[in-house]
Amino acid sequence: MNSIAMQRRRATAARVWRQFRDSRQGMIGLGVLGVFVLIALAAPLLADIRELNPVFARSSGNPQWGSPEVFAPLGTDHIRRSVWAQFVWGSRVSLFVGLAATILTILIGSVVGIVSGFVGGKIDGFLMRITEWFLVIPFLPLAIVLASILGRSVWNIIFVIGITSWPSTARLLRAQVLTVKQRLFVDRARSLGAGGPHIVAHHILPNVSGLILANATLAVPISILTETTLSFLGLGDPSSASWGKTLEEAFVNGAMVRNAWWYFLPAGLGILAVVLAFTLIGRTLEDIANPRLRRGR
Amino acid sequence: MSEPLLSIRDLTITYHGHGEAVPAVRGVSFDIERGGSLGLAGESGCGKSTLANSLLRLLPAGTDVKGQIILDGQDVLNLSPGGLRAVRWTSGAIIFQGALHALNPVQTVGDQIAEPMLVHETAASDSVARDKAIDLLRRVGLPAARADSYPHQLSGGQRQRVLIAMALACDPHLLIADEPTTALDLMVQAQVLALLDDLKQERELTLMFITHDLSVLTYACQRLAIMYAGRIVEEGPAWDVFAGPSHPYTRALAAAFPTIGDVSSRMAPSGLGGDPPTPGNLPQGCPFHPRCPLARDECLVAEPELRSSGIGRSAACILV
Amino acid sequence: MHPGVTPLVEVEDLHVHFGAARAVDGASLQVAPGEVLALVGESGSGKTTLIRAIQGLQKPTSGEIRVEGTPVDNRSRRQIQMIFHNPAVQMVFQDPTGALNPRQTIYEIVAEGLRIHGQPKDEAERVAQALSRAGLRPPERFFQFYPHEISGGQRQRVVIAGAMVMEPRLLLADEPVASLDASIRGEILALMRHLVDDVGLAILVVTHDLGLAWNIADRVAVMYLGRIVETGPTEQILDDPKHPYTRALLSVVPETREMEQQILVGEIPDPARIPEGCRFHPRCPLLQSGTLPAEISGRCPTDDPGPLAVGATSAAACWAVSMLAADG
Repeated sequence: MNSIAMQRRRATAARVWRQFRDSRQGMIGLGVLGVFVLIALAAPLLADIRELNPVFARSSGNPQWGSPEVFAPLGTDHIRRSVWAQFVWGSRVSLFVGLAATILTILIGSVVGIVSGFVGGKIDGFLMRITEWFLVIPFLPLAIVLASILGRSVWNIIFVIGITSWPSTARLLRAQVLTVKQRLFVDRARSLGAGGPHIVAHHILPNVSGLILANATLAVPISILTETTLSFLGLGDPSSASWGKTLEEAFVNGAMVRNAWWYFLPAGLGILAVVLAFTLIGRTLEDIANPRLRRGR
Repeated sequence: MSEPLLSIRDLTITYHGHGEAVPAVRGVSFDIERGGSLGLAGESGCGKSTLANSLLRLLPAGTDVKGQIILDGQDVLNLSPGGLRAVRWTSGAIIFQGALHALNPVQTVGDQIAEPMLVHETAASDSVARDKAIDLLRRVGLPAARADSYPHQLSGGQRQRVLIAMALACDPHLLIADEPTTALDLMVQAQVLALLDDLKQERELTLMFITHDLSVLTYACQRLAIMYAGRIVEEGPAWDVFAGPSHPYTRALAAAFPTIGDVSSRMAPSGLGGDPPTPGNLPQGCPFHPRCPLARDECLVAEPELRSSGIGRSAACILV
Repeated sequence: MHPGVTPLVEVEDLHVHFGAARAVDGASLQVAPGEVLALVGESGSGKTTLIRAIQGLQKPTSGEIRVEGTPVDNRSRRQIQMIFHNPAVQMVFQDPTGALNPRQTIYEIVAEGLRIHGQPKDEAERVAQALSRAGLRPPERFFQFYPHEISGGQRQRVVIAGAMVMEPRLLLADEPVASLDASIRGEILALMRHLVDDVGLAILVVTHDLGLAWNIADRVAVMYLGRIVETGPTEQILDDPKHPYTRALLSVVPETREMEQQILVGEIPDPARIPEGCRFHPRCPLLQSGTLPAEISGRCPTDDPGPLAVGATSAAACWAVSMLAADG
C-alpha cells in the first residue's frame, strides 16, 4: 500500500505549505528570497555581462565613480564598470556558492553524524575526534591556508566552506540520532528482526529529516556570509563577481572614503536581505515542525 | 453540625487555547465535611486534576472559572492576590500529580520542605523552619539525616513522603492529593496510604484524594465521587458505591480492577469498548451512552442530572 | 506441563549482574505452549531485567535461555539478538505511544515485520486480518492513520496486531496495560486472552498488577530481589499463597478480599547489598512474629533457601514452607 503512504505524505506536505502560507514572517522571507532568485536567474536579461569587463566599460564611455544620477541605475565604480551589472551577476555567484557549499556541508555532516550516532563505539569515537579537530581549528587561518594551496576559484571556495562547516551539522545530527535511537519504536523494529540499514532508512532518517532541512535552511545564509567574508579578504575568485568581491573592491579602492555609497550599499543590502530571508524561512519551518516553541510560556 | 470545610457549587471550568474553548469541568457541586475524606475517581480527560488545581486557583491564566468555591469560609474565586496567598498552603495544600518529578533537583529536601513556611511566614526564622522541616520528615517516616539529601538520592516512595511533608508544612486544614500513589509499588503504596490515614487522624486533616484506581479510594476515603466528561456521575459512601454501583460507568470502573479470589472475574477481564471522551468533543445526550452497555434511545436526548440512588447516594443515569 | 512437550521458553539459573548489583540472581522459569505466565514483582525485583534478557535486549552474566528447546548463545550481543529473527517470539510494550514511529502509517507499522522477512504477496490481506483480529474494524479504515490520530487503547491494539501478523507462538509483554485508562484495560486483556484461546498463543507477561494475573494468567511466578520466590497455578498463588512475601503483597492489594494487612517496613533492598541468608528475612513478617520454631527461625538469617528448580511447577523458596511441609 505504498500509494496510501504516498497519499498521506502529500497531504502532510500540503498541510505544511498551508501553515507556511499563514505565517507572515515566512511569506516575507519567501518573497524576498524569490525576488533575488529571480534576479539571479534573469541576470542575462537584466544586465549585459560585458559590463563587468573594465575594457568594455571604458570603451563604452562610462564615467568613473559615476553616481546613480549620472549613470542609472546604480552608478559606476573606480574602473567604470556598471554597479548594477555587478549586483545582478554577483547575486548569481553569491547564491550559487551559498547553495552549493551548503549541499556539501549537509552531505558530509549528515553522513558523519548519522553513521557516528547510529553505529557508536569506536567508529563514533574516531569520527567525533575528526569532527572536533575541525571545530577547534580557527576558521580563517584554515581558509587562508586552503585557499592559498588550492588556488582561488569558485569551486575551491565552495570546497573550503563545505570542509569547515560540516562539523556543527554532524554534531547536531549525531545528537538527534542518539535520541531517536533510544526511542521505543526502534527497539520494536529490532525485535521484529530489522537490521541497521532498515532502521536507518525507516526510523532514523524520517525522524531527523526535519532537523536536516531546518539546519540546511539556516546553513545557506551562513555559507553566503562566509563566502562574502572570504571574498572580502581577497581570497575569492578574482574572475567572478560575487557581492563579497564587490565589497572588497569597494573597500580597497576607497569607496567609503569617497562616499560612493552606490558601490558598496547594494551588495551589502543584498547580502543582508538574502540572509534575513533564509533566516525567516528557517524560523518558520522550525515553528511548523515544533509548535511548542511558538507558545513559549 | 459545623460548616463543611470545602463547599463547591456549580463549578464550571473552560480552557481557552488555540482559539478553542474546552470545557474541562461542567457544573460540579459537592461538600467535604471537616475531618472527612472524599475520593474523586475518573480517567484521563474527566476533569479531576483541573478541578483539584482550581481549588487553589492554580490553573493557567486565561482559564475561565465559574461557580463558587468556599474553602475554610473563604470565597476562593473572589479573593484578592493577598488573600489568596494567605489561603494557599495554609488552608489548603495540594500534592500534584506527577509530583515525583516536580521536586527541585538542585535544592535539598529539607530546604524544599522549609520553603513554604518561609514564604507564607508560618515560621519565625530559618532555623525554626528547618527544625519544623526535620520534624515533618520524621513524621512521614524518613530519618532526619535525609534533610540534606537531594531528590535524586531518594527512592520514589521516599520522594512521595517528602511531598507529603511539604504539603503539611503550613498545617493546612485540607490536603488535596492528586494521584499520590499512582507510580508507586504495591507495598510502598500501602505504606503511603497508611501514612496518610495516620496523619489525617493525628492532625484532623480533611482529605481529598484523586485517582483512577477505585479500589484504593475505598480504603482511603469515606465518600466517593466518580467523574466522567467533566461532571460527577455518581456519589455516595465509598464502600456502598464500590460494592453496589448505581451508574454503569462506576460498575465498569470497579470491574476493571478485579477482586482477587472472585471466581466471576477469573479469566474474564472486563472493560468498556471505545475510549474516554475528549473534553471538547462530547457525544450528544448522556456523554457515556456510546460506551454504555445499558444505553437506550432516551439516553441521546439529554444529559441526565444527578438523582437519588439510595441513602446519601446519587447517580446521573435515567435508569436509577 | 506434559513430559515430552518442549517449553516455548525456558530460563535456567539466569544471572544478570551490573557490577555489584545482582538484578537477576539465579532465576529459572518455563512457559508451556498455550499458557499464560505472569511474572509479578515490585520495582527492584528484577522482573524487567529478566524479561529483557529473554527478549534479547540484555546480555546475561550467566545461565541459559532456551527458545523452543534451542539454547540462546549468550556470548555476544549479536548472538542474543538472534531471537529477533525468530518470528515465533514477538513483543508487546508498556508504552504503546512510544512504540509506534510517529512518521509511519498504521499500515506500514503492522506490515513492517512482514517486510523485514521478505515481501509476501498477500501483505495487505495479512495486515487487514491482523488489525481485525486485534479489534480494529474495519481494518482498512485504520490503514492510513498516523499514531497520533488514534487513541491509546487503539495504539496498543496496533502493537498487538504488529506482533500477531508474524503468527508467533509466544508473546513477551512488559506491563501491557499499565499506561492505559482503567476502563479499557479489560478490553486489551480480553483480547490477549482470546488470542490464547483462539490460536494457542503463549504469553509471558511481566506486571506489578496482581489483578491482571487473576484476569488472564494460568500460572504466576513471584519475584523478589532477583529470585523467583514462589511459583504455581494462579488460584493457588493468589488465593492461598505460601511464601510470606506473597502473603504480604496480597494483603495490601486493595482488591483482595478480607485479609489482614501486612504492611512491610522499608523498601526492597539495593540489589548490590542483598541480605545474607534468606534475602527476605529482614522484612519477613513470619520471622518477626516469633511464632516459628527455633530450628526454622535459626536458619532464615544464615541459610539461603536457594533458587527454585527449573521444572518447579509449584514451589516457594522459604524455610518455613519447605520444613513445615516436610513435617506435615
